[in-house]
Amino acid sequence: MFPRPLPEEKPLQRGLYVGFVALILILWLLPLFAVMLTASKTADEIMAGQYWTWPKHFNLIENFQAVFAQTNMWGYFINSLIITLPSVLLVLVFSTLTGYVLARYNFKGNALVFALFVGGNFLPAQIMMIPVRDLMVSVGLYDTYLALIIFHVAFQTGFATLFMRNFIAALPDELFQAARAEGASPWQTLRHVVIPLMRPALAALAILTFTFVWNDYFWAIVLTQSDAVKPVTAGLNNLRGEWTSAWNIVAAATLFVAVPPVTMFFLMQKHFIAGLTMGAVKG
Amino acid sequence: MSHVRLIDIDKYYGSYHALKSVNLTVDKGEFIVMVGPSGCGKSTTLKSIAGLEAISSGEIWINGRNVTREEPGDRGIAMVFQSYALYPHMTVAENMGFGLKMAKRPQAEIDVAVKRAAEILRITDQLDKRPKELSGGQRQRVAIGRAITRSPEVFLFDEPLSNLDAALRTQMRVELTTLHQQLGSTMIYVTHDQVEAMTMASRIVVFNKGVIEQQGAPLELYHNPVNQFVAGFLGAPRINFVAATLVNLRDGVAEVALEGASTVHVPVADTAGLTNGAKLTLGVRPEALKIGDVPDAALSFDAQVRLVEQLGRETVLYVDAGPLAAIGSESGTHNFTVQLGTAAPYAAGQSIKVSARAADLYLFAPDGKAVNRPKLIAASL
Amino acid sequence: MSELWKRHRNWLAPLLFIAPGALLFGTIIIASSFESVWISFFDWDGVGPKTWAGLANYRELFADPQFYVSLKNNVIWLVMFMAAPPLGLALALLVNQQVAGMRFLKSLFFIPLVLATVTVGVVFGWVYDPNYGLLALIFNLFGATAPALLADEHAVTFAVVVAALWPQIAFCMVLFLAGLNNLSPDIIGAGRVDGARGWNMLWHVVLPQLRQVGFIALAVTVVGALRSFDMIAVMTSGGPFGSSEVLAYQMYEQSIFSYRFGYGAAIATVLFAIMIVFITWYLRMMVRLEKETR
Ligand SMILES: Nc1ncnc2c1ncn2[C@@H]1O[C@H](COP(=O)(O)OP(=O)(O)O)[C@@H](O)[C@H]1O
Ligand SMILES: [Mg+2]
Repeated sequence: MFPRPLPEEKPLQRGLYVGFVALILILWLLPLFAVMLTASKTADEIMAGQYWTWPKHFNLIENFQAVFAQTNMWGYFINSLIITLPSVLLVLVFSTLTGYVLARYNFKGNALVFALFVGGNFLPAQIMMIPVRDLMVSVGLYDTYLALIIFHVAFQTGFATLFMRNFIAALPDELFQAARAEGASPWQTLRHVVIPLMRPALAALAILTFTFVWNDYFWAIVLTQSDAVKPVTAGLNNLRGEWTSAWNIVAAATLFVAVPPVTMFFLMQKHFIAGLTMGAVKG
Repeated sequence: MSHVRLIDIDKYYGSYHALKSVNLTVDKGEFIVMVGPSGCGKSTTLKSIAGLEAISSGEIWINGRNVTREEPGDRGIAMVFQSYALYPHMTVAENMGFGLKMAKRPQAEIDVAVKRAAEILRITDQLDKRPKELSGGQRQRVAIGRAITRSPEVFLFDEPLSNLDAALRTQMRVELTTLHQQLGSTMIYVTHDQVEAMTMASRIVVFNKGVIEQQGAPLELYHNPVNQFVAGFLGAPRINFVAATLVNLRDGVAEVALEGASTVHVPVADTAGLTNGAKLTLGVRPEALKIGDVPDAALSFDAQVRLVEQLGRETVLYVDAGPLAAIGSESGTHNFTVQLGTAAPYAAGQSIKVSARAADLYLFAPDGKAVNRPKLIAASL
Repeated sequence: MSELWKRHRNWLAPLLFIAPGALLFGTIIIASSFESVWISFFDWDGVGPKTWAGLANYRELFADPQFYVSLKNNVIWLVMFMAAPPLGLALALLVNQQVAGMRFLKSLFFIPLVLATVTVGVVFGWVYDPNYGLLALIFNLFGATAPALLADEHAVTFAVVVAALWPQIAFCMVLFLAGLNNLSPDIIGAGRVDGARGWNMLWHVVLPQLRQVGFIALAVTVVGALRSFDMIAVMTSGGPFGSSEVLAYQMYEQSIFSYRFGYGAAIATVLFAIMIVFITWYLRMMVRLEKETR
């Protein structure tokens, strides 16, 4: 272990160290605390320019209620769910299939296909913006959920394939030989051997993909227009324009947008980090 | 009746020629052990029989059927892998029943088969555990049980014991032999461990660089190796080789000169291609070397003890014979290995005389082919 | 199941498995990227017919001062982002101790990573507000007035990059923590026995073992620097006067706001060319590292 572990027999030193780290953490998250503070204030305080004082009246709940009642955030939130959940599901299905084939079948061009998936997943969105937008317009999907779902599934399949391929390739070869020797077909091998063993990896991939898709902003503004379809990220930016001086409301809405990914992260922290590091590190 | 036949099998990995025209016939109920140094193509041969590797040319027959183009699952084989290859997410019972489940057999039938196999291997009380809760030996049993459950025509084993510790390996060796007697099935077993080969096989097949060097009963191979490779591969401690020059060949006896020892007379069966002056190799097994004067000794030389290994019932001496240089001996120096069947009070530094009888000497032609078969000749003398 | 299927399933099944993912990714991501290159040779408003323009878009682009501003800003992003791996490593070293409460603190450090870039943009928009932002608060404490960073064309890009570094540092921290967890205790032990400690230990014993993670951290940081669009769109909309634009943003603005899709595609093509250089480097390194670790 590096750095050298703090000595067990010096509790004071250990305590001080934790205190020091906590201090750094507070500085690190200061911007976020500022938002929380603002989200807890009343409109009056904001108007009076009292941004950094302790809230006279703790108004967080009311501000959240105002976000739901007076803005369309709840609608955006539902839109985000409608876009994100099917995308995650389809990405898992497709990438398990592609990853399995790329990990276990040695066909000509395997490396090339894999390189395309890996390389393509690094491309900035703007490179493919015009043709994708044009495609969605011409098939009549522009400004629908489906446009975003299709794009996200296509794009995330790149990273997810890299991820699944590396995980499946790490399984021992003899496991697959054993399955084959026992008469399992490719599909049976996938279903009875690969998928059960990939469960933790799939969980990790699911929350990663969820976060990526949920947090997307660019495609939300390129492929949608109407409030009926827009996800929260685009909604939040709109809201900021409309409620310029009501910082307490904007702050509450900002926290609201952050809630699902942050909650996901804390609930499945182990999977999230394993996914991020394994997916990346093994690549 | 031939049960498994390999006819002119060739296998290429890209441009690498892994199997070169391999022919092998296995009878029903035989226990065949394929041995050879690592990388010689044993696993490739086994996987070709299983259908896990497609062969480049040749035919494979199992139980009277040409299975060359068939899927592994349809060939009537079961395979046990070195790493056991148990499915970590399944219980022992599920692991053992997996093959039958894939064949869509009714659950009741699977249960019966699993139970029967578990009883044979005495793992009935482990059936609900997962592989990672088992010890190495137990996992090995499950892997074998998984093979038994499918009641295959042929069992294939790829170094199944090499991940076990020495004590367990000895025990499993006995159990596998017992299992073979109990089931009477055809078994093909790959190992690089010659002790496993010698003790388990009804027939040994020695591989080297993708070709079969020799096959036969263990003792037959031990006593009558067809070439220098087989002589060198079987037997521990390893056989001693010395460079020898053919001086004279008369009446079926070769007279060979050794550096630093008197001329040796060796009876020869096959004199084809031998001319005076040919560079030959003389072989003598460590246990054939005796210390002191032996009546009618054909080879004898003076040596100094370098190292003594006392193994209790036997003693192994590493001796230095000066100019008489053994080729590629164990420690890499010019040493002979002498194995004595008793506890003998030798010490390093001691000077001794080492001898061997003519009947215990092997002679190999420049191309490695054996030119005499010492035991057979000994019998006919 | 027919005999025919059974005989051919060994190549048909994988083909069927890979088809949906490969087709989708191939058309929407790969083919579209190349289609952008094609479109860059046209004059197009995004709706009407395309008219062939040859290299006109490129000639105009290379004469456009805004292009050089964007390119310069891309370079600033890239250079400043290189601070993320070392800072991430520093934080990782800071929290890599097994002390009560450390696990919880550690996970709080990761929060910026899971926030949407829009959220980060909004949050930092606040921090930089010259009247009542966090920055203003700090300046006021010292009796000074805070500069309006986002309105200053010389400072704006730096301010945005600092905001964007926040989640990027957290990302690198996660990667390095994973790397530190995978250090071989034997090698660390050998280093200790040989008397290495502190900096020596880090430099000679630890960092060499973090090479692969470091490579990944570097790669995701480069990619992150080129994905600067969201932050700019949210915090500055490229302003003031285009001074915080990068190629990605300029491309978006030219296409969506000015209806110059051909010109936008030309910018996208330049970006694409840069990316291909990067991706080639990445793939070659990946192959090399994979060979090394085998
Ligand atoms: N999939 C493969 N691709 C290329 N070469 C291989 C492959 N499998 C085995 N070989 C090579 O073929 C030779 C024989 O391998 P193998 O049959 O596994 O040897 P062993 O006798 O140790 O079981 C070795 O030299 C090995 O490197
Ligand atoms: Mg092998």
